[in-house]
Amino acid sequence: MNFNNYQIYKNQIIIDEGNMTLTLAIHSSKGGTGKTSIALNLAVAFALEGKDTCLIDLDLRGPSLSSIFETKTHFWINDFLSGKCSLKDTMNDFQKDIGTDGHIYVSFANPDIKAIRELVSKDRNWQAGALKALMNGKKELAENNMDIIIFDTSPGVEYESINAVAASDMVIIVHNDTNACSNCTEQLIKGVYTLLDKKCAIVDNMHHGNCLDIIEKKRYGAPILATIPCMCEIATRSANEILVRSDPEHLFSKSITAIKDKIIEMQ
Amino acid sequence: MDSELLEQVVNNLKEINAKLDQLILQAEFKEDHVGEKNKIIADSLDVITLLSLADHLRTTATTLFEIGPATADEIASVTNKERAVESNYLNQLVRMNHVKKYRDGRKVYFRINDSLRKK
Repeated sequence: MNFNNYQIYKNQIIIDEGNMTLTLAIHSSKGGTGKTSIALNLAVAFALEGKDTCLIDLDLRGPSLSSIFETKTHFWINDFLSGKCSLKDTMNDFQKDIGTDGHIYVSFANPDIKAIRELVSKDRNWQAGALKALMNGKKELAENNMDIIIFDTSPGVEYESINAVAASDMVIIVHNDTNACSNCTEQLIKGVYTLLDKKCAIVDNMHHGNCLDIIEKKRYGAPILATIPCMCEIATRSANEILVRSDPEHLFSKSITAIKDKIIEMQ
Repeated sequence: MDSELLEQVVNNLKEINAKLDQLILQAEFKEDHVGEKNKIIADSLDVITLLSLADHLRTTATTLFEIGPATADEIASVTNKERAVESNYLNQLVRMNHVKKYRDGRKVYFRINDSLRKK
């Protein structure tokens, strides 16, 4: 897509060249690859650098961010997608709680089982409306000078996750080193991300081999941003800490920072 | 006695006939209604439908999603195609009911069809 002529459009997403909002969708073909940990730490890493960041839990069927934070607002992202409120109504600012230079807003998906069951019966009409709402929400955030928007998504091909991919500028594919994951990732790149004309990049997470021997720089045409070794303590520590804030020297935190820097370089 | 019985049979038959007519009418109404509902589902431009569009139409529709209501000229500037080519693609999408066309002053604008969205 040619961004050079954006200034002639009625609904400007880019106000001036120095103020572009970058929207990332953190997606994977399989569950349990580490999307939420990466999305959360990446969002905080951007905010620590002074970027105003909005992290949105679009994993509506398996919401996880609400178990990490205490919600302050009365509205869920589900309400926004159903047209019951604005995106701003769903945003909780954790800048002071976490201690970041930039704002770190988080929008949560409703973890109540009734709300999740309700999603299963949503028809294509609702999904079409949800995509439109997401696109409009993105514009609303861009107009309010949000620097980074990050969507944490549900794995595989579900309406909610593909809506997030469609609304993003770039997809970060979290990949685990298994045959099943590799086959599905390849299909996703060819059959979804490329069709929607999205930039992609891969993060190899929970890698079991020797990370120092890695020479592969691209896979299925997408650059590999980082290879993160399998470290069980990430799961246990993540229950109480945001590693990139509490332990910036940890290998995981350094990997996240490297991913953040490479994403900026690619723009 | 026989004529009474016969009259009763004829009346019952008339009643059954009337009920059958009613049932046929109800069935026809339901068919139309379901057909309409299916039509609505087919027209909504959700992301899976977007993925199944031909490449050229998908690019046009995606651009329209991204930049909001726009003229063919504005779409063409993003996709780097000729205005007439984009106008053709947009009109194809209008015929498929995925896009709506409207006039604002002297210009013709296109927008994603969301009039069918239920709250």
